Amino acid sequence: MAKILVLGAGISGHTASTWLKKKLGKKHDVIVVAPTMHYHWIPSNIWIGVGRMTPDQVKFRLENRYKKSGIIFKQAKAVSIHPEGNEKSDRGYVTIEYTGQDKIGETETVEYDFLINATGPQLKFDATEGLGPGKNTVSVCSFSHAAEAWEKLKESIERMEKGEKQKFIIGTGHPGATCQGAAFEYILNVHYEIAKRKLEHLAEFKWLTNEYEVGDFGMGGAYIKRGGYITSTKTFAESFLKERNIGWIKRAGVKKVEPGKIFYELLDGTEHEETFDFSMLIPAFSGPGMKAYNKKGEDITSVLFAPNGFMKVDADYTKKPFEEWKASDWPSTYQNPDYKNIFAAGIAFAPPHPISKPMFSPNGTGIFPAPPRTGMPSGVIGKVIADNIIDWIKKGDDSLKHKASMARMGAACIVSAGFGHFKGAAATMTVFPIVQDWEKYPTYGRDLRYTVGEAGLAGHWLKWFMHYMFLHKAKGYPFWWLLPE
Amino acid sequence: MKEQEMRTEAYSEESYPPMPTKTTLFWRRFWPWQVIRWIVLNIKILRIVVGGHS
Ligand SMILES: Cc1cc2nc3c(=O)[nH]c(=O)nc-3n(C[C@H](O)[C@H](O)[C@H](O)COP(=O)(O)OP(=O)(O)OC[C@H]3O[C@@H](n4cnc5c(N)ncnc54)[C@H](O)[C@@H]3O)c2cc1C
Repeated sequence: MAKILVLGAGISGHTASTWLKKKLGKKHDVIVVAPTMHYHWIPSNIWIGVGRMTPDQVKFRLENRYKKSGIIFKQAKAVSIHPEGNEKSDRGYVTIEYTGQDKIGETETVEYDFLINATGPQLKFDATEGLGPGKNTVSVCSFSHAAEAWEKLKESIERMEKGEKQKFIIGTGHPGATCQGAAFEYILNVHYEIAKRKLEHLAEFKWLTNEYEVGDFGMGGAYIKRGGYITSTKTFAESFLKERNIGWIKRAGVKKVEPGKIFYELLDGTEHEETFDFSMLIPAFSGPGMKAYNKKGEDITSVLFAPNGFMKVDADYTKKPFEEWKASDWPSTYQNPDYKNIFAAGIAFAPPHPISKPMFSPNGTGIFPAPPRTGMPSGVIGKVIADNIIDWIKKGDDSLKHKASMARMGAACIVSAGFGHFKGAAATMTVFPIVQDWEKYPTYGRDLRYTVGEAGLAGHWLKWFMHYMFLHKAKGYPFWWLLPE
Repeated sequence: MKEQEMRTEAYSEESYPPMPTKTTLFWRRFWPWQVIRWIVLNIKILRIVVGGHS
């Protein structure tokens, strides 16, 4: 009997654990460790943040779901990984600390034969002074943050209803923050809610971003066919903002936020401030800060993890200039090079390099987005790791035949911009591959047949469809396994 | 926002991007056309999902 331990129950970890259990059955143990008791469909947070959905519409309890399918669930956070075991045993184990199940604060060790680290991003609000919920800005990165964002937004709307002007600043809150797509979606939705209430004349909107050009989205932008031209997503994204009279500040690294005031540095080295009444800024991300120890108890955290806390996998981490990076540097099996029974799925793996060109101000501040890793690749990676482990256990085949590189995988980012069956709108962006492959596609880095930028109701329907489809799948409802990642 | 209310200052960053015309906006909301686009986008997304891993 094999024991597979999955850390994290987000898009990647949940996909991996549910596939493993479905294909391995009762003979093997699948254990999930996650600090929260809920599965949470993160993309729909945007609709919580504008009061269109409640947190209950985007989450469900994991315990019931896992009990039904025979997965062992421990509501706890992983604290340290011991891949070589200890003096008593050679079996790898993870130390966990309970956050629920009436055992809060208790620690336990969980042994494994295979370990999947799918712990996602840690939201590093602390990396920017004064940033984040409970401080001076709001966030939409978790359902509780998004609910708080809506409370604050409601206050601004009420003020406008009384005739007061309000200034909205939405974007990235750290010089190296990523997830521009989510912030972009939020600003469009906030605009929609205000326009719907006919309060636009009292609102001033600003998109604040660390992108070199609007529309970079941490993936070096993309080229799309539109209106008889091959054009950049810069044009596409700027047009979306302009259409709504939303201004923008680009190449900006936020350094500090005080009540009603944002301080930022521009790529040209100059320092600026901007006042606001309501601001949602995405924080920097890092790994969850787990430690690792060898058999002797020595700290090997830097062997398992990159300095940003994400786990090292089968990528080429050699330092090289941006121009020399290649599609083949990106991992495809997500196996740790030192410990072959450890894998990192979704956001938890360390990318080999940024996709957006690193840019530095004369003061040495790096102002450019880290690589985004959206839901679609996270799900696919979880599935591919599960398939390889299944082959390993069932057939003894450790050759890791199943592969999924972000340089051979596409992503769809659907930015909703409204609500209602016929009133909604969206910008649908698909890119293929996510990481440009300049050898295969020398002109634009990507396949233009599958790299699309399109505005319209169709995208809005897609976003709705995904909300219901992925929750259906995650809940394990009938025929869930037929739905693609 | 109506076009006449939106002031565009030449040389400002915001003056460069294209603005959708009324016809473009119509097609973005004309649901029979959007149903077709929905099918096309679904097919494209499905193909990139299936083609993205082996
Ligand atoms: C507002 C918003 C909108 C988005 N919209 C889209 C979209 O439209 N399309 C798209 O493709 N992507 C979108 N994304 C990105 C998408 O949500 C992420 O790519 C995806 O959730 C990443 O999956 P993951 O499994 O790697 O991490 P997560 O989903 O973050 O899951 C991480 C899991 O690990 C757990 N965990 C954390 N620390 C520990 C620990 N120490 N021990 C054990 N478990 C731990 C967490 O509790 C969680 O269960 C959006 C993101 C945001 C914030």
